Amino acid sequence: MDFTTLAIAATPSFLASAVEFVEATTIVLAVGITRGWRAPLVGTALATLTLAVIVATLGVALVTVVPEHLLLGIVGTLLLLFGLRWLRKAVLRFAGIVAVHDEEEIYRREVAELRAQGLRRNRWDWIGMIVAYKAVLLEGTEVAFIVIAFGAKGVGAMNAAILGAIAAGIIVIALASALRAPLTAVPENWMKFGVGAMLSSFGIFWFGEGVGAAWPGDAASIPVILGSFLLASWIAVRMLGGLLPQGARVEARNV
Amino acid sequence: MSSVFRAIWDNTYGLLVDDGQLAIGAILALALTWVIAHSGTDVLSENAGWVLLALVLALVFANLYRAGRNARRRAG
Repeated sequence: MDFTTLAIAATPSFLASAVEFVEATTIVLAVGITRGWRAPLVGTALATLTLAVIVATLGVALVTVVPEHLLLGIVGTLLLLFGLRWLRKAVLRFAGIVAVHDEEEIYRREVAELRAQGLRRNRWDWIGMIVAYKAVLLEGTEVAFIVIAFGAKGVGAMNAAILGAIAAGIIVIALASALRAPLTAVPENWMKFGVGAMLSSFGIFWFGEGVGAAWPGDAASIPVILGSFLLASWIAVRMLGGLLPQGARVEARNV
Repeated sequence: MSSVFRAIWDNTYGLLVDDGQLAIGAILALALTWVIAHSGTDVLSENAGWVLLALVLALVFANLYRAGRNARRRAG
């Protein structure tokens, strides 16, 4: 697999993982800055290890045991379910029905809660470790499922999906370490929206392949499916905007 | 520690059924597509993927419309 093919194959996993890494990094930063870095870094490492085990066991089992057409059906179903969930939430956020994810607010709340818990010097900080472990594991579970889903087509796809997730992790962690602040400038909802549409499109394409449907131009149909989702989402945002009075939108955003 | 496991379970469960009706609708659409692909006419079987796309788009619209109506009712 040459670099360009690898980069294209790794992109969906990269984008999906980046969104989740931003959310996890906010919590780990809050713990590290409030209570010191040792415990949250250990918690992060343990959660990463747990996720690696999940990907390795489930991913390998899927690729090696399940027949290809059934695998496409399972992967298509998973991607569609994940994708629709993300797409729906992103559309509702754009329309002002669900509050936009605010990393700054989450960071402030987390720091206040951690300070309230108190910290004893010279003792292992279990609270810091568990909070970091929980945050990384919870956000990472979605990444693990997405890596498995995108990687389930074979060893090459699995490598690309894992590389995409690792690259996203390195970039997000490097940025957060340099800034020492939550990454508020990342257009999270746009990314979630794009990834949701992409996952849903791949889900429909692969499920169709799994049940033996014929796609004109094979993978060339994916941009058409993606375009349909983007257009439908744009219409949905406009429709929802028309349904709600302006005041309700503002109120929803301030939740 | 039990709260950690509960949170993990809630998150994993939420991955699939965060919005129950959307997830159930999607699974029904997938099942219908499978039936069409295996027992429909040749033309229908070959176009089962497009049928799935149409079903899912209709489902998303209906779900979002319902969410919008509910939000408007709450706001009013």
